[in-house]
Amino acid sequence: MFSFTKQQQVLDVGSIKIGGQPGQHPTVLFGGLFFKGAPDFQQAKDQLNTMVSISERTGVPGVADFFFRKHDYIEDIIKFIIDQIPDPMPFSVDIQDASIKIEVLQHLHDQGLLSRTIYNSLHIGVTDEEREMLSSNTPSAAITVAFNPKDRSPDGKLEVLETSAHLLDQGLLSIAQSLGIKNLLIDTAALAPGENSGSAIAALPVIKEEYGLPSGCAIHNVVEKSIWLQNLPDALPVVDVASNSDIPLFGGDFVLFGPLKHASFVFPTIAWQDILISEYVESYFGVSPSDRHPRRILMK
Amino acid sequence: MNDQVNTTVIGSYPIPIDLQQLMDSYFHAKSPSWNPVILQAVDDMVTAGVDLISDGQTRDPFLHIFIRGLQGCRIRARAEVIGPILFDAPINTGDLEFVRSFLPRRIKLLGLLIGAHTFSESVVDHFYHDKKQLAFDVADALAQEAHAMEPFVNMISIDEPSYANSFPEYAAELIDRMKRYVRCPIRLHACGDISSIASSVVDLPVDVLSHEFAASPQLFDVFCEYESKKHFCVGVVRSDDAMVEPVSLIHERMMKARDVFGDHIAQFSPDCGLRMLPRKIAFLKLQHLVKTARKMYD
Repeated sequence: MFSFTKQQQVLDVGSIKIGGQPGQHPTVLFGGLFFKGAPDFQQAKDQLNTMVSISERTGVPGVADFFFRKHDYIEDIIKFIIDQIPDPMPFSVDIQDASIKIEVLQHLHDQGLLSRTIYNSLHIGVTDEEREMLSSNTPSAAITVAFNPKDRSPDGKLEVLETSAHLLDQGLLSIAQSLGIKNLLIDTAALAPGENSGSAIAALPVIKEEYGLPSGCAIHNVVEKSIWLQNLPDALPVVDVASNSDIPLFGGDFVLFGPLKHASFVFPTIAWQDILISEYVESYFGVSPSDRHPRRILMK
Repeated sequence: MNDQVNTTVIGSYPIPIDLQQLMDSYFHAKSPSWNPVILQAVDDMVTAGVDLISDGQTRDPFLHIFIRGLQGCRIRARAEVIGPILFDAPINTGDLEFVRSFLPRRIKLLGLLIGAHTFSESVVDHFYHDKKQLAFDVADALAQEAHAMEPFVNMISIDEPSYANSFPEYAAELIDRMKRYVRCPIRLHACGDISSIASSVVDLPVDVLSHEFAASPQLFDVFCEYESKKHFCVGVVRSDDAMVEPVSLIHERMMKARDVFGDHIAQFSPDCGLRMLPRKIAFLKLQHLVKTARKMYD
């Protein structure tokens, strides 16, 4: 059970709030929309509608996380966002390649979408060109990945935020600030199975206490990569969904839960967890849940 | 080079880190490997013709390598001590073993240890509030690290750059503690202008004394005053200046060293670690160092 002494930031991104003391606002869930080859927009629309529906029923906010892995289809995916994600609902763009990041940012700017964009992500691989583009086309929020290749511990994650572990000219927090990114979410960087992946969970309360910033991670990735679980095919999806509960339980604010198609399982799981947390933090710390908290919607 | 005089390095070597590659390993849930970086550093040193090389100390600033490895420490904005300093597990042996796996047999390998005094001077101490006690605990922990690295190396170099600013009266005791489990030769590297402490340094319990004579040539005159049976690693190439010295200038410095130290010269090296220089410059400096030494001794 956590209540932080550091004042907690609550970010307003589009129509959702992220952050705060545990139990104050519901956990925000990011579900990935991956496209292999030509995007199947009908399937994407169906999954999006499922997420919106379960989000409304449970009170757990959802954000569609659009993967851009190739230069092809960038304009098509952005058109889909314009058509299917109603303003002011936020969305995130998940991009690894710096040149694709630059192109997508330019399109988002041209379409007037940056005020609803959560940039996924800023990390030690940031290039000069990317920095330049981010400073002129600044998204509303950015997920900063606290991956430190030198140190897998929670301290290592703080270090990369503070100093970039001397791999860049300044720490990731300073870089984000210099680029004018006002809303920062910290991804505590879940590592490969056996590589101290648990430190991503341990780092959640540490980072919230240190900086008061919304924190989360993609802990389900560790499940997905756990070879021993692949030999238990019936259990694998259950463990995958269940793993996401660790994040709010340890004070985290957002969850990158993997494919959006898992929404109908993940949202109720997190709603249940959020209700439980709200019950005990309200009785012990006096933290009241927000108006749209799952406890208010589902426990009337 | 002949067996008596080796070309060598102090420790660090500049290799640009491929951050995209590290991020790719993260995105693919793979453990990031530092081996490609170490490989490049070692390859440069070997290609330049250096006799006694290091692993390049590419992972981190020197202090941080040990801060990460020892219990009781952490890195925030600065390196901090937050509990008793204890040896947990070998810190450098993984890298040294990797280097040994491909290093030609004729090339010797140097193990690098931070000095206990420099460690105690460089951290923010939230636990001991007693610099001497901190230094002795560090020395005890690093003695185990020295023991762990000994099977892989030909010599261990203890790096004490803080001597130039503060020389503790218990310096010799610290070194004795650090080397108590090992039998390989020990080098002490103290850069900067150590003129004021040279009389104490020559009595330290090590086999080789390493100092920067290129940037601080007055040290030649200083050491003339002290009779010592120690061997010397003479810095003859500047590590704080990107100008690549011509062979003629390095030769001049080596000749001066030979006048002062005679048969007591064991090694020629750069003044200090090369990590602050561009890679190309660092490589050329090593090449010129080797070329000059060969001209003198082969």
